[in-house]
Amino acid sequence: MASMHIVLEDTHAVWCSADIRSSLQYLVTLFSRKLFNDSLPPVVLKHQLYSLHNDKTSVDKQVVRSDCNKCSTWDSVQSHFIIITLMHSEALVFSFPRQNELRETGELLMFQLGFDSEAFALVFAEDYRAKVLQGEAGRGTLGTVEKFLTKLIPSCSDLSFNKEKMLKEFLFTDSEITQLVKSGVLTVRDAGSWWLSIPNSGKFIKYFIKGRKAVLGMVKKSKYGEILQTELEGRRTTSQVKFQMKYHIHDIIGAELVECIQTTSGTLLRYVDGNVN
Amino acid sequence: MLSFLYARQSGLDDPVRLRRAESTRRVLSLELNHNRDVDRIHGNGINTLDIEVIDGRYMLSGGSDGVIVIYDLENNSKKPQYTCKAICTVGRSSRHVHKFSVETVQWYPHDTGMFVSSSFDKTMKVWDTETLKPAEEFQFDGNVYCHHMSPVARKHSLVAVGTKDPKVQLCDLKSGSRIHILQGHRGEILSVRWSPRYDHILATASTDSRVHIWDVRRASGSLFTLDQHNGDKSKTSSEAVNTAHNGRVNGLCFTADGLHLLTTGTDDRMRLWNSATGENTLVNYGKVVNESRKGLKFTVSRGCSPEFVFVPCGSSVAVYGLHSGELITMLRGHYNNVDCCEFHPDYQELYSGGKDCNILAWVPVLRQPDIEDEETNSKRVKQSETFF
Repeated sequence: MASMHIVLEDTHAVWCSADIRSSLQYLVTLFSRKLFNDSLPPVVLKHQLYSLHNDKTSVDKQVVRSDCNKCSTWDSVQSHFIIITLMHSEALVFSFPRQNELRETGELLMFQLGFDSEAFALVFAEDYRAKVLQGEAGRGTLGTVEKFLTKLIPSCSDLSFNKEKMLKEFLFTDSEITQLVKSGVLTVRDAGSWWLSIPNSGKFIKYFIKGRKAVLGMVKKSKYGEILQTELEGRRTTSQVKFQMKYHIHDIIGAELVECIQTTSGTLLRYVDGNVN
Repeated sequence: MLSFLYARQSGLDDPVRLRRAESTRRVLSLELNHNRDVDRIHGNGINTLDIEVIDGRYMLSGGSDGVIVIYDLENNSKKPQYTCKAICTVGRSSRHVHKFSVETVQWYPHDTGMFVSSSFDKTMKVWDTETLKPAEEFQFDGNVYCHHMSPVARKHSLVAVGTKDPKVQLCDLKSGSRIHILQGHRGEILSVRWSPRYDHILATASTDSRVHIWDVRRASGSLFTLDQHNGDKSKTSSEAVNTAHNGRVNGLCFTADGLHLLTTGTDDRMRLWNSATGENTLVNYGKVVNESRKGLKFTVSRGCSPEFVFVPCGSSVAVYGLHSGELITMLRGHYNNVDCCEFHPDYQELYSGGKDCNILAWVPVLRQPDIEDEETNSKRVKQSETFF
């Protein structure tokens, strides 16, 4: 009986994992690369995934790293194996990866953007590496940045680093840390600790916040403060909105800045009062 | 349903399974019923509700006008249409009534002869239900936001009190002393809750964004603080390290078995914690709108599988699945903000009170008779007629 439960849970897990990856790839296509002259890797926000998937907890589990030792729930530790019994009492045992695959294998990187403590940015690791090295080409700091990236990507999934970690674990010197800050890979967080960041992301954050405000304003100014999602997608964007409309719509739905109501004419987005934005 | 009954009868299933399945089905079908009403006595908003544990018959309510009312929830009238009558009131005309709003009321956990109320007039009063006069009165220095008596304690009768003062005070009902103080918070205490599993474990929530878990038998500080990032200091800015929420923590609720603790905060989040280790289970409930400047009173269902959380959200009550984080439904019916809700475990009913001075009873929908049953009934009647 127990193995049957595990089978269902794990096949669901594999489906979910594939789904999250495909959702991320879809959201990446909505990101406008040309806007930043191709200097930024495609950035997706974690809460945009909530608008595509119903179960927020499972999205979190697959994106956020959870420490195996501290975990007390059975399904993320034990459901490692699928046992499929065939007709003539043969059994195939498959070993499937744990649900928290994406960040632990270093496929995905998560960043704290700074304008909201709950807004996390997700970037595929290969894209990040490619863009950072592209931006660093020809500069003196290239070597240090490369070293940092090789140390960072396969194993680490922290959002910030403190001095001890940089000096002892990663074996960087103080001058190298200064070079990393200059190149934009690290941003100052506190005395002696740094956030992991995307170089040249300041422009992205500025356009993003402006665009979000403009789209929310469009919803708010509509009659009764509500608008059909298809109608909003079709509206002409003002000069404030630099990204694609769909990118912003996924953002405001996922961050619950608008309420989603299913109607016979499609999804209706209603402005939620009490937003600080 | 029939399959459950058959399985129980033949011994295939545990008797508990039928009860749990039926309770869950009833909770999922909660709605307002025009047959059930609660007497409207309060002239101002209702801040707190409490249903007694022994019979589940009497309900206490405390209002913003300082009035305390006791209702009889049992329907003895043999008619489906029933209004829960108010049996007695500590009204504005009483000499001992609280001067300002009553924030928390609680029945004495072992019988209904006594109840305790605390209020913004900086007092906590222990009332005798028979005479409706306070048997004991505790004075404090600041507004009393909340108090709680342990529902399982046999060895002690301590009441934990949360006030404007960062120190949590424990008042002993047996001796009347208040010397036991728990120090550790740096802001006003908005909510206190004893564990329903151990009689010495206490959880307190404060405006300094922290939740402390205490063992009252220990002389030194708290056992641990709840950390929303589970010790991962890299996730957040350095000021927000070791906090339970990114804002004020204003609601606490243990699950019925005491193994998990729910907290709500003004950062519009609700978190589920493992109460033994203090680990954040990272269940994501989404945005749980919370604008309350004082404590928020919410509740968890009992005897269902999966369990449900009922949280007042604005002018409706949101029902979430406890471990899945899914929003099941929003119970809409109040005209103004809902402040408190209380679950009746025996009948799977929910009572909610709010600023519109109404207490609404959410009753499970009765199963409609099938069309087949009606036809066979009428056929049987016809047959019996022809027989005669």
